[in-house]
Amino acid sequence: MIAYLGRRITALLIILFGSSFILYNLAAISGDPTEALRGSTDPKAQAQLLALTRTLNLNVPPPARYFLWLKRIFSGFNFGNTRDGHPVSVDLSAAIPTTIRLILLATIIAIVLGVAFGIVSALRQYSRFDYGMTFVAFLMYSLPIFWVAVLLKQYLAISFNNFLAEVTIQPGWILALSVVSGVFWASLISGDRKRVWKIFGIAGGISALILTVLSITKWFANPGLGPIVLFGLSVGVAYGITFLSTGLGNKAALKSAQVMVVIALVLYYPNQYIFNHAGGVQTILVQLLVTLGIGYAVSRYFAKIDRRPVARTAMITGAVIGLLILVDKLMQTWKPYLATDAVNGRPVPTISESNSLLPAGNFWFTFLDTLLHLFLPTIALSLISFAGYIRYSRGTLLEVMNQDYIRTARAKGLTERTVIMRHAFRNTLIPLTTIIVVDFAAIIGGAIITERVFGWRGMGTLFNKAISDFDLNLLMGVFFVTATLAVLANLAADLIYSALDPRIRVVGS
Amino acid sequence: MKARLNARSVVALVSVAALAASVAVALPANAATRTTAIVVESNTFTSLNPGTPDTNIVINGDVAYLTGMGLYHYNDKLQIVPNTVLGTIKVTKNTAKDFRVTYTIKPGRVWSDGTPINAIDFLLTHVIASSAYAKKAGLPDPTGEEVPTFNSGAYTGVYDKHVAGIPTISDDRLSMTISYDSQIPDYILNGANSPFPVHALELLAAGKKSLGSAAENAAAKEKFLTDVTSYNTASLKKMGAIYNDSYNVTTVDASTNPLLLVCNGVYKVDSIDANQIKMVTNSKYNSGPDAGPITTMVIKQGIADGSPSAQALANKDIDVYQGQPTADTVAQLKANKSASIIFDAALEYEHIELRVASQDGKKYDGPFAASGGQKAKDLRRAFLLAYPREEIVNKIMKPINPNAVVLGSNWTLPGTPAYSAVAAANGSSFYSDGTQAQRTAEALKLVRQYYPTAGVKGATPIKINLLWGSPGNARREAEAALVIAAEKLVGFAVTAPATKGWGGKLTSSDYDAHFFIFNQTATPQDAQACGTFQDGGGANYTGYVSAKVEDACKQLQAKTLPQSTINRLQIVAERQIVSDAFFLGIFQNPQVTAYNSDLKGIKPGKVSPTLFWNFWDWSF
Repeated sequence: MIAYLGRRITALLIILFGSSFILYNLAAISGDPTEALRGSTDPKAQAQLLALTRTLNLNVPPPARYFLWLKRIFSGFNFGNTRDGHPVSVDLSAAIPTTIRLILLATIIAIVLGVAFGIVSALRQYSRFDYGMTFVAFLMYSLPIFWVAVLLKQYLAISFNNFLAEVTIQPGWILALSVVSGVFWASLISGDRKRVWKIFGIAGGISALILTVLSITKWFANPGLGPIVLFGLSVGVAYGITFLSTGLGNKAALKSAQVMVVIALVLYYPNQYIFNHAGGVQTILVQLLVTLGIGYAVSRYFAKIDRRPVARTAMITGAVIGLLILVDKLMQTWKPYLATDAVNGRPVPTISESNSLLPAGNFWFTFLDTLLHLFLPTIALSLISFAGYIRYSRGTLLEVMNQDYIRTARAKGLTERTVIMRHAFRNTLIPLTTIIVVDFAAIIGGAIITERVFGWRGMGTLFNKAISDFDLNLLMGVFFVTATLAVLANLAADLIYSALDPRIRVVGS
Repeated sequence: MKARLNARSVVALVSVAALAASVAVALPANAATRTTAIVVESNTFTSLNPGTPDTNIVINGDVAYLTGMGLYHYNDKLQIVPNTVLGTIKVTKNTAKDFRVTYTIKPGRVWSDGTPINAIDFLLTHVIASSAYAKKAGLPDPTGEEVPTFNSGAYTGVYDKHVAGIPTISDDRLSMTISYDSQIPDYILNGANSPFPVHALELLAAGKKSLGSAAENAAAKEKFLTDVTSYNTASLKKMGAIYNDSYNVTTVDASTNPLLLVCNGVYKVDSIDANQIKMVTNSKYNSGPDAGPITTMVIKQGIADGSPSAQALANKDIDVYQGQPTADTVAQLKANKSASIIFDAALEYEHIELRVASQDGKKYDGPFAASGGQKAKDLRRAFLLAYPREEIVNKIMKPINPNAVVLGSNWTLPGTPAYSAVAAANGSSFYSDGTQAQRTAEALKLVRQYYPTAGVKGATPIKINLLWGSPGNARREAEAALVIAAEKLVGFAVTAPATKGWGGKLTSSDYDAHFFIFNQTATPQDAQACGTFQDGGGANYTGYVSAKVEDACKQLQAKTLPQSTINRLQIVAERQIVSDAFFLGIFQNPQVTAYNSDLKGIKPGKVSPTLFWNFWDWSF
């Protein structure tokens, strides 16, 4: 194992050295940092040219200049200064958190949705839903993100903000959205023709009804769930999670989940008080921990044997209902947020990471503001990357379902739910892990186009800026971080794989 | 099922329709008048001090303009407007060898920390622009290999060449007199403009982290005067380090050293984060025109020029956008009903120039070389006559700026006061009269004197190497294609590939012609054109030398002249340039300003700070 690691790390260093040398030289010969000054008729331009040559060591040929850079790296990770005159390390440390904020959420959403849809798609192989998802996946995969971004900005920001001035959904929209909803549910649930039409009708009708009610009550001007809707949703969550986690046959799990719903509802008003008086990231984390604690305690009460699945069900149910309560709180923040001068009734922004004009010190405004600024880039990024996860998880699950041990599990008489959730789904996740680990490393590289289109200043922007300004120090700084992480992630993926799958083993020789 | 469903939808639709009708009335009017203006910029803020070569970028300059008030500024007609609220600039001695300019500060002007502004605050101008001073103070030579102690971009200019000794400060500290060893035209542009809070600089150099008391500030200011006049090397070095590096901040918040933010402008920097620079009213401001109704000025930074900015404007995320958009973005901006657009041109122009002599020590005997006599001149004239300037403007510029025109002068640009007079008299009509077909025929005649079969299929063409820019510059690539096609008709085979590192090849004898952008940063008496046409000028990339031009430049750079004389000299020089047929302006770069129609008072200027020059007149 240690020999294996040693070998891999040596290879890593060689790769880093080689690739950085090649990149440095390619970048150095790709352009002329003094270009802008050549066209200046300012008599002082010559002095500026001299200053630039001096600062950037332009009189040293690129291969030799690379070693000047390398020397600084060896003398204590000194990445040097950008052409703007401040340390590259400062820029990097500002950009990395921004990038993580931007892409982490999008990647998680893409993974969760992608895996979920992929699995349903595999289970309904060759159904309308499967074809539909395959179509959607390839469509999304082939969309250029700058174009998606333009559309999202036009419809979800500009048009939606305009809509908020009236808050009435036009009949045409209600009709269109209801049809879309009908088609979605009909193809998801599927069946013979009569059944499909029935589902289409019911789903479309319910959607139309909900949208009409939302329109009439001007819900979008002052949204909220309220305890009653929240209760309905929570019951649904309790049954859904119990079904997936243990099956509805497990009475202890179902009872625990139901009790969690009741507790959450009883604690609804106390929680509002906490939100209003001590809102903050830490408070929310404490609330989550308390919820999980309650879930565990409840499961201890109901389950006497085989407690783990019951505890899991109760805790997940509690967490999801907690999330709903949080969403409800954010919805209550919506109206006062819109009324602030800084927002001026147009909450969905097309650019930036935050709105510096908001009154300071209001946690919920800041929270909502952050989410709204994340809204469009997150949708754009997840739309495009979730397509890949659909294909991966569908393919993997189909392969797993054809394995002998699945047949054995069925032969034992296990329920279909157990076969899928316990035997097939878990094994599907193993190859996915590899992809996910490498994807997370790629996150740090940033999303050059997305960051540019939405005006975020993460690693992608730095990379772009470095290339367009011929800023070699900055370029190499970005490269160093991303390349190191990429190589390390590959190593980590291999190690995780061997840990998850006992058939795979890393050997030293 | 079906019937029930339909009934339900009908009920829903009817109720929605009824509701929509009832809601359509009475939307609350937007009562409060906004006092925040949000401007978008594509580059990112890097420093509170735009004076160093590294930080001399548009956005830094804009923030400095919004937070600082100088003795003059440019208006939208390229006139210099003096700011007499802060002080006056007067020539107090005007002889050939002794030329003195006195800056007198009005008493009572204050910095944002309450410290009075006086003439000592203008003294830094000298320290950062005189290499003689640096050498005398025992600091590295700013024109040498080492980084200057005050790493400003101001060395080697007119000021550096002609200033004599350290400017003197009067006993009441309210006036400063700069002495020059010769008469200086444009003494306003070349001398001091904005004050620099030198007391803050001294306190920063002393390691202070908070604003000084009134007494400390006054003492620091006097110390600066002593440090400068006594050539205090150690102090100057400390202050130089502050000047070069400490102002380079990309975030400003409560933890920022307030000494860095001392200013005398309408606004002071309130906060800077990755996305925006927020400036709020400076309550102590009294250094210039009355502050307008906009109390908070925000610059959203790092937003890509083009579609993202256009959509941000449509979404009212921003109020003002200025840039060089593509034709698609112009269409997008036009489609925005709530925005107004102003099309004009920046003081930047694309031009074609032909090499007439070697500049790299190698022998140059290309088809255009001046050594080729009348033949080379005729070929140059033919090349320029056939150059598809009109087509380039119509196809490439008009979609972005409908007001774009083919340039009529190589010396002055449309929008500058002298342009129409110069353009009418400089002989440039030779290259613009008639249609392009007529000009091409004329060109063909010229070429056929020497190459009878020119332009005929199969004839040996005259080979021309044309240099224009880096790969990926789509606009110039399109231009190059038009040029190749047009010049082919008159017998020139133009080779014009995109060239990496092209800027360094402008003096190379390998190329017979170049087209690229020249940008002008100010409007001195010689319109910065002498650098392009004078022997050895910094932007002379053709090897051109002409006695008439040398003489005109000498006069224009010698002393302040009346406008009529300036025009006459410019016309004399330019007639020569046009007749020598080696240089032709093509078009000015477009500058498109789109803004929220509710915002009044926007009048874009032509030189930095183009958009902001009259920000105090803006209002909602």
